[in-house]
Amino acid sequence: MSDVALFDPTQLFLELDEVTINKAWLKSQKANTSASRWQTYLNRLCMMVFLPWLKEEQNQSPQTDSFQTNYWELINGSAIEVGDAKFLLVPSEASDLSEMRVPQEWVDIPSWVADYYLAIQVSVDDGYIRVWGYGTHQQLKTNGVYNHSDRTYSLTEDYLINDINALLIARELCSTEVTRVPVEPVSTISATQAENLIQRLGNPEILLPRLAIPFTLWASLIQNESWCKRLVEKRRGTSSGIPDRGSVLQWLQAGVTNLARELGWREVEFQPSVVGARGIATSSQEGITPTANVALAKQIQIDKSPYELKILPLDIEEGIWGFELRSLILGGNIPAGFKLKILTEDLETFEGNEDLATTAVEKLYLEVALESGEGLVWVVEPTPDEYQPEILRF
Amino acid sequence: MLPRQGIVKIFSTFIQFDGDRFAHWAIDSRLHRNMTKLLATTSSSEASENFWVIYWHKAWQNRPGGIAQQHLSAYLQEVCFWATNKTIFGFTSTQYTVADCFQIAIARVDKVLKGFNPHQGCSLKNYAQITFSNLIRELLRQRREIDICSDWALLRKLSQKRLEQSLKNAGLPTKTIEKYLLAWNCFKILYVPNRASSTRRLTKPSKEIWLAIAQLYNRERTTQLCDPGEKVSEETLEIWLLACVRATRAYLYPNVTSLNQPRPGYDSGEIMDTLSGEIDDSLLTEIITDEEVQERDRRQAEMSKVLITAIDTLKPEEQKLLELYYAQKSTQAEIATELGTKQYNVSRKLARVRKSLLKSLAQWSKEKLHISLTSDVLKDISELLEEWLTGHYHHQ
Repeated sequence: MSDVALFDPTQLFLELDEVTINKAWLKSQKANTSASRWQTYLNRLCMMVFLPWLKEEQNQSPQTDSFQTNYWELINGSAIEVGDAKFLLVPSEASDLSEMRVPQEWVDIPSWVADYYLAIQVSVDDGYIRVWGYGTHQQLKTNGVYNHSDRTYSLTEDYLINDINALLIARELCSTEVTRVPVEPVSTISATQAENLIQRLGNPEILLPRLAIPFTLWASLIQNESWCKRLVEKRRGTSSGIPDRGSVLQWLQAGVTNLARELGWREVEFQPSVVGARGIATSSQEGITPTANVALAKQIQIDKSPYELKILPLDIEEGIWGFELRSLILGGNIPAGFKLKILTEDLETFEGNEDLATTAVEKLYLEVALESGEGLVWVVEPTPDEYQPEILRF
Repeated sequence: MLPRQGIVKIFSTFIQFDGDRFAHWAIDSRLHRNMTKLLATTSSSEASENFWVIYWHKAWQNRPGGIAQQHLSAYLQEVCFWATNKTIFGFTSTQYTVADCFQIAIARVDKVLKGFNPHQGCSLKNYAQITFSNLIRELLRQRREIDICSDWALLRKLSQKRLEQSLKNAGLPTKTIEKYLLAWNCFKILYVPNRASSTRRLTKPSKEIWLAIAQLYNRERTTQLCDPGEKVSEETLEIWLLACVRATRAYLYPNVTSLNQPRPGYDSGEIMDTLSGEIDDSLLTEIITDEEVQERDRRQAEMSKVLITAIDTLKPEEQKLLELYYAQKSTQAEIATELGTKQYNVSRKLARVRKSLLKSLAQWSKEKLHISLTSDVLKDISELLEEWLTGHYHHQ
């Protein structure tokens, strides 16, 4: 007899077939600890069957952020946006349905707050997920009990609404329903502080990184997507451990971010004709790429002498970029033996990725064609003072 | 089962079982005295069953637990008895007795009283019937689950709240409970199934895992516990976790003979003031008048019309589904067999039909009653719909 026979007709349950189970399991193997693998697996299962159901029931199509597979390494819960409402799925293996336990991150970080929190029981053995109740952010904050030990808000079953149809109809007929209460903004921390925390919490031997530091500090760290991603990668040991500084293209178009500025990057004027690179003349004449007159520069110091590394957008449409190293001393040259190198984000070399000064030269120069989103790491030899490898996205 | 005669008995007697069958009604003398006294001070027009239901529910809302709960628990005996019988009957493989499940369900009467809203037009009996049925269904499902789970799998299938309740129920002091909960959390983090399925047969953790659990516990105790206590060994942790398992199993299989008896705590001071034999006038002023009753009945009739019209517009197979489920009380598995489809499909179809009815009812409430349809309101409407469907098909 299947468990399903015993269900309350107002609760929604969805089948987990073998194909789904195997697929979800396979896709969850990247996780770092056995607990985070299991957490990832449960969340993935929920998403795989709940999303298609929701699509069928709603006129608007639900949106998810592919970034959240990273959160599962650290925190339970999966967010879905439908129209202007945000749902949070909270999976659990507990079969007693006494409470819904929501990690504090989803309740107290302003950008993470959801409108509706759905309690989901996952029974892998019987092959189903059951959406057995839901509550709003407001209910969590007013009727929920905050647990200091595991930093969760818990809403007992008598406060939850069983009938998921009530949620769908509330959305349909009363879209103005008040679901949230205001929460305090999360304070910000400096890039250096974040870097230190990532180094410390990135140690996979710390099994509960979310409980290892005060919540306010933790919240300011993980609400930043790229820091959160770095932390996850560090714990998984999947990345080279090099921080990802974000999109160079975005800096050119929308201005250099604070983080990048802290790391020494700034915009400089750039005259394509002087560089004489291909494709520039036409595109700047026709004014197709308005950012073509801005490049990025960073000052570095080698053997107590200042140099400047420039990144030049030669042809944004085609993804052609130039890297240039010059001395900042008037009339100064690049000494013989200096090398400018570009590596992939996994620190692999590729053809034409370096320029060596065999004699003293005016500049070192490289040109590369990149796919959108590709990441690179720049290297100069001899190593500049206080050099920190960084991944730049193009 | 013999129906009870008279208001006093309806609110002061309890079912006694002979094995699995109804034996007789037992009078609780304390409740009996209380009802007799109260009845003597009220005018005859107030002596209806409905009056006392509302009166005691009000009293319960002012002071949950207490004697009001006992009176209402007496009142709901038959409802609970029949709900138990019907629900258990649906499950052929059950090894659970009616008496056993009845006692557990009636012990949760507070859930019925908490969820019941007298202004909505539901009767307490109907509402209780649905709630008790759901409770028993859940109970059976949970028992089955813990019966087939190994000790170590069981620990993974608990909510923290349930474990906490079970440990409290076992009479453990708060500090000990705190430690057990931390041990359990450490266990859950480190002992995770390493296959995609079959989570019910987890065997005892290996020596390495126990060491890791002990290590984590000893690290976390200094920050997570109010009283960090001593450093503990993996042997101690194993003993603690097995104690958790026992407490959890015991929680779902309580010693039922004591459950339907008045609880000892109520015999002390709390009873004295209620037994003064005075009607609490502040409650009477809130009791609904005849006009309100008429208004409620009228609304109920209108609602029925809305729903009957909505059902008429459903496709024949959808109507059939409602009938099978609500009138013939078929389980979803039986319906699936009858309709030649999978059980999940039955459930989904049923949910969809219910949704369309819920929407009709919600729209009607919004237009006629000018109610803003928040989730809470829709929750009430959904319960009302369930009650109406149960009643409607029952009378057909």
